[in-house]
Amino acid sequence: MPNALELTGIRKTFDGFAALTDAHFAARWGEVHALLGENGAGKSSLMNIAAGLYAPEAGQLLVDDNAVRFAGPRDAAKHRIGMVHQHFKLVRPFTVAQNILLTAPPPAEFQSHGERLREITRDIRNKAAELGFDIDPSKRVDALSVAEQQRVEILKVLLAGARILILDEPTAVLTDQEAARLLQTVQGLARKGAAVVLVTHKMADVKTYADRVTVMRGGRTVATLKPQEASVAELVKLTVGESIAAQGFQPSAAPRGPVRLSVRGLRTPASPEGRRVLDGVDLDLHAGEIYGLAGVGGNGQGELAGAIMGLEGEPTEGEMRLEGHGDLKTMPASVRRSIGIAAIPADRYGLALAGGLSVAENYAIGRVHTGPCGACDAAASRATRRKRCAPSTCRACVRSRRRRRCSRAATRRSWCSRASSASRPRWCSRTARAAGSTCAPAPRCTRGCAPHATAVRRCCSSARTSTRCCSSPTASA
Amino acid sequence: MADASLMADMAVPSSTSSTPSKAAAVAHEAPRNAQSVQPLARRRYALEIRQHMPWRWQALILAAALLAGMAVSAAILIAAGVPADELANEFVMQTFFDGQNFRAVLFQAAPMILVGLAGCVAFRARFWNLGLEGQMIWGAIGATAVSMWQIGPENLRLPLMFIAAIGCGLLWVLGPAWLKLKLGVNEIISTLMLNYMAANFLLHLVYGSWKDPKDNFPYSPQFRVFERLPELGAGIGSSILLAGVVALLAWWLASVSRMGLYLRFVDANPRMAHASGVPVRRTIYGAVLLSGAMAGLAGFAVAAGQEGRLTQAFYQGYGFSGILIAFLARNNPLAATVVALLVAALFVTGRSLQVFYQVPFSMVQLIQAIIVVCVASSDFFIRHRLRRVGGEAVQ
Amino acid sequence: MNGGIVLNWLASTPDFAVPYALAALGLIACERAGVLALGAEGLMLVGALAGIGAQIVIGQPAVSLVLAMLAASVVSVLFAVMVIWLRVNQVIAGLALVFFCQGLTALVGSMAEWTNHATEGIGAMGLWPLSMLPGVGRIFEQNAMVWLTLPIFGAVAWFFARSSAGLRLRAVGENPQAADAAGIRVTAWRFAAVLAGSALVGLAGAYISVVSTKLWIAGMTGGRGWIAVGLVIFARWSPWKALVGALLFGCIEALIPQLAAAGVQLPQYFVMMTPYAVTLGVMVWVALSRRGADEEPGALGQPYVREERR
Repeated sequence: MPNALELTGIRKTFDGFAALTDAHFAARWGEVHALLGENGAGKSSLMNIAAGLYAPEAGQLLVDDNAVRFAGPRDAAKHRIGMVHQHFKLVRPFTVAQNILLTAPPPAEFQSHGERLREITRDIRNKAAELGFDIDPSKRVDALSVAEQQRVEILKVLLAGARILILDEPTAVLTDQEAARLLQTVQGLARKGAAVVLVTHKMADVKTYADRVTVMRGGRTVATLKPQEASVAELVKLTVGESIAAQGFQPSAAPRGPVRLSVRGLRTPASPEGRRVLDGVDLDLHAGEIYGLAGVGGNGQGELAGAIMGLEGEPTEGEMRLEGHGDLKTMPASVRRSIGIAAIPADRYGLALAGGLSVAENYAIGRVHTGPCGACDAAASRATRRKRCAPSTCRACVRSRRRRRCSRAATRRSWCSRASSASRPRWCSRTARAAGSTCAPAPRCTRGCAPHATAVRRCCSSARTSTRCCSSPTASA
Repeated sequence: MADASLMADMAVPSSTSSTPSKAAAVAHEAPRNAQSVQPLARRRYALEIRQHMPWRWQALILAAALLAGMAVSAAILIAAGVPADELANEFVMQTFFDGQNFRAVLFQAAPMILVGLAGCVAFRARFWNLGLEGQMIWGAIGATAVSMWQIGPENLRLPLMFIAAIGCGLLWVLGPAWLKLKLGVNEIISTLMLNYMAANFLLHLVYGSWKDPKDNFPYSPQFRVFERLPELGAGIGSSILLAGVVALLAWWLASVSRMGLYLRFVDANPRMAHASGVPVRRTIYGAVLLSGAMAGLAGFAVAAGQEGRLTQAFYQGYGFSGILIAFLARNNPLAATVVALLVAALFVTGRSLQVFYQVPFSMVQLIQAIIVVCVASSDFFIRHRLRRVGGEAVQ
Repeated sequence: MNGGIVLNWLASTPDFAVPYALAALGLIACERAGVLALGAEGLMLVGALAGIGAQIVIGQPAVSLVLAMLAASVVSVLFAVMVIWLRVNQVIAGLALVFFCQGLTALVGSMAEWTNHATEGIGAMGLWPLSMLPGVGRIFEQNAMVWLTLPIFGAVAWFFARSSAGLRLRAVGENPQAADAAGIRVTAWRFAAVLAGSALVGLAGAYISVVSTKLWIAGMTGGRGWIAVGLVIFARWSPWKALVGALLFGCIEALIPQLAAAGVQLPQYFVMMTPYAVTLGVMVWVALSRRGADEEPGALGQPYVREERR
């Protein structure tokens, strides 16, 4: 059976960083082929090459067994390849029809803009009905929910004539039901003859919906196999490259200490539609425990953590009483840091690191709020000496460090450097993005600090991680 | 249910890894036959963002850009009628090695350094303070007011003028700062509009109530002796000393102090700065108000140091010069001092070119703009890399 | 007598409003494509000088205006290269362009001795039958350029609202990643937008020198380019709202000489401050009344590189 899409020997570097070193991939017509790997493995880069957005340094690309070369996304579209990106490529103020008009193939004969819009609207309605989507073509994209926007993206590529469909982490932003519906739909498309590539890191999706799976790791293709014939453990091992050592998690035998933080009735301001992100949250944190907060993405875990850490989006009602310090709501972030609340936000590049500054400066910022007005370089050098960091690395930009290393090491180090400062944090909050990152190093660090810390709280969207790593997991819906 | 079983799988110790499972055995298919191989793409040029460039290369590119700018300027000057062999003479010899001209350069450099520093400090907080001229004007007005209304005893008059200048400059930038931080009003437009308003107010004063009754020219009466910045001897004014002190202060602020570190974070990642406990608003306010104060001080330096009175057009050219200096010096106070000296030399040379070769003074502005264009364009090579992509297939 | 003043005022308003309107329209064209155009002040000067120079040398107003548009476009190529190819910070590039043009026009103007050289303008055209009305009819006797401004506005507004090309241009300005993925050549469209927008801005400047004042003085635009930038923000990037704003500013500027003619004693320089104060007020008003949906082009001021990777 011929291969619909094949990439062999692909090599791609970004400013010296090798994203792909020897990547191979082949998808057949009529199958759902999963591309599995963790964050930074190169899956998205490989598929961006297939979609014509990036050009590789070496390697070959074949569509339907013919070698092709793409000068841009339009070439890929001409070869019936369509990609639904993780971050939607939609123009938000435009309507659905206008967005799809942008990518629609030009008409054979001249048509006025109004006529083209009408024709596109008709096509959208037909296709949507065929797939069972409920999309109004005249609605603006920013008025649609995330799941609906994704459906618009799929309609977009289908109406542009795609027979090879690439979906980049499609279920990352969906609820379980929406994800199941989506995957069933694309499975249906595959059964009708299209080739579907599913870029994902979720084992469950791979096992349930994929006909074949290719595993990538560190820019290389590691294996291609049938998911039904391999166990999850094997897939995990191929993905991660190391075995997840059995970390028998022993719940602490010591009784819980007294309540350190009590949150009652926390509410954020209501949006114009009346929705509140946080609508009456109550919880109690005791000394010496790791508190896990689990839930499907978008249910407010991040916002709750942000409210306690002192980040953007202050709640309006309710209270957060920290033992000995009163209501946290009235304290600005600087005061919270100084009384010992350390924070590691999920958005590392947005909220935890300053990319353009040196590692030393990033370490220093956690420590300089008190003390003499000058001599900040001294503080920075003390901080880096503590962590035994080479001066040259310290000079280099944080931004240039490899993404994964950064997310694991630098954030952890920066947190620990703050943790080991004169005032040990009595309270640490860590928001984890379970998407893509393996959970092994994180719990090691948090558990290591739990004896020092009074209470540690982790928010994750993966129930698995919560139950494994936390002493008192709480599900939030 | 499914989760529990998966968990159990993952929790099992890695005994399965010792025997190569089916997973490893099913490798990817063998690479295709080499005969139908074609290059993946034609030689295509890809633009990518460079992560970091060593200092040496940056300096080299900057030097090349400056040379290019100067070459273009020289060409324009020659086209404007200045003999080519005279150019070097005018720019280098006359300016730096002639005693009187050098004193003029130092005089000119004091306010130039101050506006350059004002630009640096404001831009470090990502605040486009284009109102340097307006703040200068108000600084001079403030100092002149103290003189006109004879506020304070004679020996305190100069310090009072100094304080008034700083206060007025600071207040004139407070409005745009508050508008930006509170309401999000674009500070480029607001500071520029205030410039025009200040300029008109100045004309109102020097053509109106503050006009010198003796001459009927549009300037204020001359300052008294104790109201002028004293000379240090050898004809060099103390304004340059003042500028030097402020430069050191600015350097300390930017490189050593805590506020400087805060500013660096506010510039790099404001959200992260806030999350780390940096008092972002206070820091930005502090930087912007300091910038206004320095610009006001520049006005004081011109009024009390150079002119000795309030004139109608003393501020012209300083606004863009301040921006240029801050830009070329990459917001570094010490580099700004050096660049300001060079810009001052440019001004002095421009005046003598005007006198001797009838080249209009706007030439100076043109030269400044050309240099900014060249240096800004050269940034491209520092921040990006052009790579050839595509070639032979792997086989 | 009062009525006469009011009529004079209304009749002279369009003359003051046209430069603002055309400059704002040119800026809207540029900024809708995502390029922050701060160089309006400089481009207006270039248009003004080129217009007067052409008028002095050739003497045909229509030709002079067209040449002015070309001159502004040519100068804007420098700006376009800087911000689109070389990804220079658009604020710096805009400022550099303004000062470059200020210096260049002052230099060329004085060397070619075009300063204060009076030329012929263009005659007034009545809009029949409205111009036949008694009294009020004077308002409808404006020069050809004023009447031409309306179809120009109509054409640009139609382009953005109802044409496929306009849709593509807006996509480039809102989300260049999406446009690029759709196969639209972001660089080419932005270049075209900058050149076309600059032509309109140059036309605005040429109007001031060729039609309005009929001579050239260095720096004669006096900040109108900056006011136009504020006007675009006030108009939320919509052409028709920009026209309304331009009429507002035209009214204010036209009022100044009328007040003097009426003998109203106002401090001269305070009166001259009015346009700038009003601009400031307008910006504050816009900021205060900010509604939820922001019409600012999503990618305004951000250079675009396809292979950007964090």
